[in-house]
Amino acid sequence: MPTSNPLPPKENALFKKILKCYEQKQYKNGLKFAKQILSNPKYSEHGGKFVARLFWFPHSNNFAETLAMKGLTLNCVGRKEDAYDHRSDRKYDEAIKAYRNALKWDKDNLQILRDLSLLQIQMRDMEGYKDTRYQLLVLRPAQRASWIGYAMAYHLLKDYDMAMQVLEEFRKTQTVKPFDYEHSELILYQNMILFEAGKYKEALQHLESYDKQIVDRLAVQETKAKLYMKLNRKEECIKVYQELLERNPECWSYYHNLEEAVKPATVEERMKLYDDAAEKFPRAQAPRRLPLNFLTGEAFRKQADLLMRKSLHKGVPPLFVSLRSLYACPAKVKLLEEMVLGYVESLKAHKLFHPDDPEDEQELPTALLWTYFYLAQHYDHLRQTDKALEYVNMALEHTVTLIELFVIKARIYKHAGDINEAVKCLDEAQSLDTADRYINTKCAKYMLRAQMVKEAEDMCSKFTREGVSAMENLNEMQCMWFQTECMRSYEQMSKWGDALKKCHEINRHFTEIIEDQFDFHTYCMRKMTLRSYVGLLRLEDQLRSHDFYRTAAESAIQMYLRLHDHPVSDEDHTESADQENMTPSELKKWKSKMRRKAKQEAEKQERIKMEEQRKEQLARQKAQSDPEADGPKEEELVPSKLQKPERPLEEAITFLQPLQLLSAQCMETHTLAFEIYFRKGKVLLMLQSLKRAFAIDPSHPTLHTCLVRFQKLVKDSTSLKPTIAAVLKKEMQSLVQDKDPATLNKEFLEQNPLSLPHLLAGAKMSFYLDASSQEKSISLATKLSADVQGVTIKMCSEVLNSLRCGDFGSKIDSEVESYRAACHSRFPYASCFMTTVQQNHIKQNAVSENNIDNNAIEQNS
Amino acid sequence: MADDDNIEVDGDNHVNQEEPKGKRAAKHDDVGTADLEKVTDYVEEEEISSQSISDAMKVMSDRKAKEAHDRQIREKELAKVKINKEDVDLIENEMEISRVLAERKLREHKGNVVDALVELTN
Repeated sequence: MPTSNPLPPKENALFKKILKCYEQKQYKNGLKFAKQILSNPKYSEHGGKFVARLFWFPHSNNFAETLAMKGLTLNCVGRKEDAYDHRSDRKYDEAIKAYRNALKWDKDNLQILRDLSLLQIQMRDMEGYKDTRYQLLVLRPAQRASWIGYAMAYHLLKDYDMAMQVLEEFRKTQTVKPFDYEHSELILYQNMILFEAGKYKEALQHLESYDKQIVDRLAVQETKAKLYMKLNRKEECIKVYQELLERNPECWSYYHNLEEAVKPATVEERMKLYDDAAEKFPRAQAPRRLPLNFLTGEAFRKQADLLMRKSLHKGVPPLFVSLRSLYACPAKVKLLEEMVLGYVESLKAHKLFHPDDPEDEQELPTALLWTYFYLAQHYDHLRQTDKALEYVNMALEHTVTLIELFVIKARIYKHAGDINEAVKCLDEAQSLDTADRYINTKCAKYMLRAQMVKEAEDMCSKFTREGVSAMENLNEMQCMWFQTECMRSYEQMSKWGDALKKCHEINRHFTEIIEDQFDFHTYCMRKMTLRSYVGLLRLEDQLRSHDFYRTAAESAIQMYLRLHDHPVSDEDHTESADQENMTPSELKKWKSKMRRKAKQEAEKQERIKMEEQRKEQLARQKAQSDPEADGPKEEELVPSKLQKPERPLEEAITFLQPLQLLSAQCMETHTLAFEIYFRKGKVLLMLQSLKRAFAIDPSHPTLHTCLVRFQKLVKDSTSLKPTIAAVLKKEMQSLVQDKDPATLNKEFLEQNPLSLPHLLAGAKMSFYLDASSQEKSISLATKLSADVQGVTIKMCSEVLNSLRCGDFGSKIDSEVESYRAACHSRFPYASCFMTTVQQNHIKQNAVSENNIDNNAIEQNS
Repeated sequence: MADDDNIEVDGDNHVNQEEPKGKRAAKHDDVGTADLEKVTDYVEEEEISSQSISDAMKVMSDRKAKEAHDRQIREKELAKVKINKEDVDLIENEMEISRVLAERKLREHKGNVVDALVELTN
């Protein structure tokens, strides 16, 4: 190692120990030795070499960081300590800088180069990665990782020729053993590169010539089939897909591709494909199910009849789920309904699916049960609540112990808007089988929908680790469905702090998943699982496009917008609002109520304080016993602090950015972006959001509200900078053709006169533009006539909320009440359209029943 | 270089015993944890026989030199463009992007601020 100042033997031995400790993840010991060397100022320049490595490592604790800083400050003259940022995601950047500095001292140090390359791929600094990998190749041409890494750098930079060339050179040096899995993966990786480069002919040749060396036969066949398809060699393609079907006759995509290759001209020919398959694989579901997608009329009925009878006879619970996608077509729904109703009649009378069936095919009673089960789901899907309940109750009369029936019943109530009743059903279901985790989590989920957070946590705790609170354990396990539902629940209860805490927790999970990929950079390269590795890298790049992130981020942004518009004050004033209007006796009652409440509140605070102290103590103990277990300390999420953000809009933007990058195809991303920048007054960024949203769906109701407000803003403002005005003039033409906001709104309403979402958006805007149109706007938004489309519980409660929160001005109590009543008669089950008295009544019922249940349990035990 | 290689090979094992492996495994009550640990285990790099390497290396270094050259030319072209400081300020402030990026976008559009902004709002 060419160093300006080699270490004396004693220190050198220590240094080796440090490296060894590092490799074996014994950071604590490593640091001890490091300190010994560093304490001698003579050798401090060596600091950078290894200390830099400890610097970024997520497992190192604060001690390591301070020590690392020491090494760095000694090493890199003039570096200031305060440049160091504690946020873990920034640390990689810092570490890259530290490594570069260390390389200045020792430019051919292999270990530093290797670690630097890991950091660069983690940060996706692909150009830098390529350069570092090049240096490694020059220094160590005899190591295979050098070649693979260099080739991969080119592959990821989409320079396929170069990647292929490097790999080819490398492959030539390899000697092949029989059943060499790693070599097989290398060949397949090469093939993947050729495929991505669009060189299908070469890829096919490559695959054929190395066929014998490849162990993963499925991959060979699937790739071959794809290549034949691309090269338009239909005959061979069909043959390969037939072979693949032998392997797995349930794979939908094989059938799909087979069809593509055969290109059947008529429905009969198309059907023949599936008939052949069904004959060949009599037990397979797919060849029976798939034709239902394209068949119509009598042919559809016949095929569906076949499938249904088989499934109902066997008792296949997910039958409805597998047919649900057909419900997009009303004609098919009608056929299915007629057919299943026919079964019910015939089964009741003759125990046969059809009266004309031969006598010896009599069905067991379960066939009728599963038919009821299907019909309940069928009517639920069509939102015919009464009929759905009728059938599920008939099924329950038939067999009261079938858990699935309670799940369906709960779902029917949920869809009808009566979540409390739904929870009751599921609670019964889970009491029938407390060891069934699916039912348990379903029940917890419904409880969260009913804002019963505590109960849901207790429910989950049956399956979480003992000794830790369920909430904590579920967070540690990255159980995101729970956190998402929990967040929604808090949001409904206006507990913004708690809800935001959940959003941040989910966000942190994603950060953690991205950090966890670090280990795979070395592992995959060593094990040659290169195809999966590239797949992993691509997945991680897209990670935040996942629905869990999107939901959490969208909610977080909405809450931050709300907190920006209505910041949370220190005390809740809502209760005292009506004080002035009370009679003396009422006032007295109210005061004593408030006193009681204050006392309760104080007790609660005391309890919380105790709890926190206990937790702190526990955390301290844990920290002492296992100091290296956790990564750098994350800032603790405190709900009371979260609901009073200093800069809510900036917080919202941090959630927005991944959405803009990865969920650009979603309307909400851009309309939310608009809301943020509207509040910040950034005209061009508003324009950006509008342009992106417009490209997705120009007539979207939410986009319309943005466009109208933006146009009004632009027309009203007089002091726009000339440059900005020029940009707006150029770009707005295609969006609104320079119309004034009122015309824009009028046209929008004319174009969509019978869609509730559009009516609401248009009505909101007409009131926004002209407050004198209050009456007319409200009548537009509350239109519930039979010809209006999109009247759902969700949409109607949105209208109701919009009326209540002042989008249509104040003093409209009677309008709100009459709309609520109208919705209630339309959706009689939905609790959100009941009067507050009714709602409280239901809640109290739920509480008292729960108490009875608990008492009963206690008595039993 | 020799030092580094030696370190990877030799080194004594007595520091090994303190590592609380058991504790970690107990933390997640899961057998898979042990496998996960292996992911980062240190393993010796395998050496490959090195024939024909020098030829390939030459191709690669030629290629690299050309890449660097092309990039330099592009950078030089961009550096030549005259840009207005106020325009950079405007872009930076209105689009909430870094100054470096704002400047680059402006250069790419030959200093035309409206064109640069149109592209940025796409």
